[in-house]
Amino acid sequence: MAIKTFTTGEVLTAADTNTYLANSGLVYVTSATIGTAVSSVTVSNCFSATYDHYRIIISGGVASTQNNLGLQLSGITGSVYNQLGYYQLWGSSTRFDYAGTSTNVIACDCSATAYIADVELKNPFASLRKFGNTMSQSTNNQYSMPFYINSTTSATGFTLTTGSGTLTGGTIIVYGYRKA
Amino acid sequence: MTRPNIQMDDEVREMTEEEYEALLATGWTWGEPDETPTAD
Repeated sequence: MAIKTFTTGEVLTAADTNTYLANSGLVYVTSATIGTAVSSVTVSNCFSATYDHYRIIISGGVASTQNNLGLQLSGITGSVYNQLGYYQLWGSSTRFDYAGTSTNVIACDCSATAYIADVELKNPFASLRKFGNTMSQSTNNQYSMPFYINSTTSATGFTLTTGSGTLTGGTIIVYGYRKA
Repeated sequence: MTRPNIQMDDEVREMTEEEYEALLATGWTWGEPDETPTAD
């Protein structure tokens, strides 16, 4: 629905209200509650033709040890995940550069105290190459790392896998960007 | 615990021996239980 401009005194109908609630800019798709002592979490069937671009928020949990949480799209394996960026410890002026090609992208630096990740993902379902950006903060440091996935395979979901140790608790929420 | 859990959507279960071996083959470790605030 196109953006509508209401005028003074105009009646806001139930139909208009419901339409705007359903077609807000960032639309909830699905969520998962992370279990206890899991080394990987798969969120399936969250990408479709309904949306082209997505945002994934990972928050509220703890890790058994500090580790990098990898994100791999369903059906896209091999070293096609290209990522670069930097990370930096809180309180330190030293910035560490990162560049790598792997079988997943770093979605989050997880700590035993608290962490949060914000993953922007473009075209996961479309038969196009995928791009995105991960920004994460833990009690240790912050990461800012754009990525490019050299694959045109359509993905319907994703798996998060710890680099070491396990995760307990927290949520993964997937939102889609409204197209029109 | 001998193997970590694996989660598929809302289902959480312990990894099978085959799944655990595949995970170890990626270089995965249990890690240290304490946390040192250093970049990784």
